Amino acid sequence: MKNNKKEKAKNKGIKKAVFKLLGDEKRQKITIPIFLIFLSFFVASIMILMLGKNPLAAFYNLFQGAGIFPKASYAGYKSMLTDFLTLLNYMTPLVFASLAVAVALKGGLFNIGVSGQMLLSGYFATIIIGYSGLDAFLAKPLVLVVGIIAGGMLGGLVGLLKYRFNINEVVSSIMFNYIIQYVLSFFIHSYHIDPVSRQSANVSHASRLTLTNVELFGLKMDLSIGFIIAIVLAIVLKYFLDRSRIGFEIKAVGSNSKAASYAGINVGKTMVFTMALSGAFAGLAGVTYYLGYYSSIQPRVLPSMGFDAIAVALLGSANPYGIIASSFIISIIDKGSTYMSSIAGVRQEIASVITGLILLFSASSSYIEYKIRVNKDKFGYEPGKELDK
Amino acid sequence: MDTIIIDGLSFALPLFIMAIGGIYSERSGVTNLAIEGLQGFGAFFGALFTVLIASFFNIPLQKLLYLALFLSMLGGMLFAMIHALLCIKFKANQVISGVVINILAMSLTVFLTTQINSMVFGEMSDKFQIGTSPRFTIGGLADLPVVGAIFKSIYPFEIVIIFIAILAAYLLNKTKFGLRLKACGDNPQAVDAAGVNVSRVRFIAVMISGALSGLGGIAFAYSISTNFSPAIYMGYGYLAIAALIFGNWKVLPTLGACLLFGFARSGGYFIAYILKMSSTFSDLIMILPYVLTLLLLMFFSKTNRPPRALGEIYDKGKR
Repeated sequence: MKNNKKEKAKNKGIKKAVFKLLGDEKRQKITIPIFLIFLSFFVASIMILMLGKNPLAAFYNLFQGAGIFPKASYAGYKSMLTDFLTLLNYMTPLVFASLAVAVALKGGLFNIGVSGQMLLSGYFATIIIGYSGLDAFLAKPLVLVVGIIAGGMLGGLVGLLKYRFNINEVVSSIMFNYIIQYVLSFFIHSYHIDPVSRQSANVSHASRLTLTNVELFGLKMDLSIGFIIAIVLAIVLKYFLDRSRIGFEIKAVGSNSKAASYAGINVGKTMVFTMALSGAFAGLAGVTYYLGYYSSIQPRVLPSMGFDAIAVALLGSANPYGIIASSFIISIIDKGSTYMSSIAGVRQEIASVITGLILLFSASSSYIEYKIRVNKDKFGYEPGKELDK
Repeated sequence: MDTIIIDGLSFALPLFIMAIGGIYSERSGVTNLAIEGLQGFGAFFGALFTVLIASFFNIPLQKLLYLALFLSMLGGMLFAMIHALLCIKFKANQVISGVVINILAMSLTVFLTTQINSMVFGEMSDKFQIGTSPRFTIGGLADLPVVGAIFKSIYPFEIVIIFIAILAAYLLNKTKFGLRLKACGDNPQAVDAAGVNVSRVRFIAVMISGALSGLGGIAFAYSISTNFSPAIYMGYGYLAIAALIFGNWKVLPTLGACLLFGFARSGGYFIAYILKMSSTFSDLIMILPYVLTLLLLMFFSKTNRPPRALGEIYDKGKR
């Protein structure tokens, strides 16, 4: 960030060009996140350069690994299409998790407990439905229901603690994260452990939300049922937040809880509902993660996806459509990193560093917006007009 | 019985110094959820340079203990500058900024640790071995019944922490700087009117917070694992925040909360040891401090009084 600022100060030309590219306020909703992503990749490429590797080649490998560009060779039954479908499969829980963060953000709350809510709902869905031997037609919807209920209850509890006892939701949900992680680790180790994989025993095929190894066009592909649900729910959520009364109340409490309370909105109830809704989305993320993308639970590990989701939600400015786009990008970074590290020799951990950088820059995006507003007067820039030299 | 006190103290004191850091930041009006990341980055910074210095100059690691403590404070302070910049200069949401710092610290330190290990030492490891810290016992006092355990097998960092904690408490409560800092958290407009630069005071407060968190982090690295590894992100930074909330943003009550956490944890392990429980049960004991945090928060959060301007971005024009 500092470097970038210094550069700007030195070079007014670049500054002008950047502000021109970022455009007017309407376009900024899209241009600023893109700018932030480029900035993150730029900083990451400096780090890769310092390691003596070619950043462009590394990023190309990243995209190859995610199924956006073709790889040099493929194993049997695999192609770019199967890689891409795996990417969508991975992206599904990320979309849900990010929607969870976004709903909370809209309501002025910060749900950092998505990971714990995912783990809890994944666990309950696994033991109740995953091990039950129900038919696919019954099992799959029930998995979703269990996920929604488990996640929603935990989220609602966090909201209740905030409303009743004035406990900061960040602190309480982190405490829940740890408690769930250890307690479930105890139960999995005691009752459901697979001695070979050191994970919980696999769930039944019928209960999984991803159809694995479907043979089509001579390829074996993983089709995620959850992906379609995720896209539909994102659209529904957008409509719900923008057009419904409850959606309006959530946003009103989020932007100014005092004003909302004077307007006759029940702030406490709305807060609890917001967290429950957020938890329900996290629950969906949990079931599509543990009973979709994976089919077992690794004990004592919180899914890092719950934290990546914060980056996605901030990058997508908590807008459901923005989230679909930004989770696509973050999925590419996550999913392609394995292939990148094997081909380019850059460590896989760089992926989470890039995500971290995107987060860091996203957190200061309001400052960039502010800067643009200030600079507009300075450079005499008006929307729709060419920049005067 | 002795082990409960010894282990409890060596857990409670690092927690306490991090909580004091939190008090500094929050009393100045900046919410600091970044303590978790700051302690991790501080410990990483200290461990990295200690290991590098030890291997280049062939100095045994034990001799570098105090240097490691100092470097960790420096590292925590440097990383805290990001939080300060985001919150004060860039006017970012302080809660989001804190969480962002934590995530960035975690990913950055894990990446750099593995990368540096493979580049410099040619090892595939995500740990820096910083050596065991020497421990000492104060003769005479240690023979006292029950309380004697306080003086048994003390880590040097415990003494450093107590010293710095007293200094920090004095600075906060008795000096002009400390009083101004607290005023920034309650009524920044008044402080500004008195001719003090609010942003500067807050910036310094956050940096102090980072330094103290770094000290806490390296202390955990010494007492729990004798190395720096990603396992340092155990959520103790958040425990420190919980402790300062019970402590009502005051130093002494916060110490009480930290001691409670420390003894709950060591007591739990002790019970598990006596009952000869299998290792799977240790998972259940691990949750003790977290459950205790939630329960205590339920009782104390309602009545306590946070700094009035906590979490608010300072706006000169606001009435």
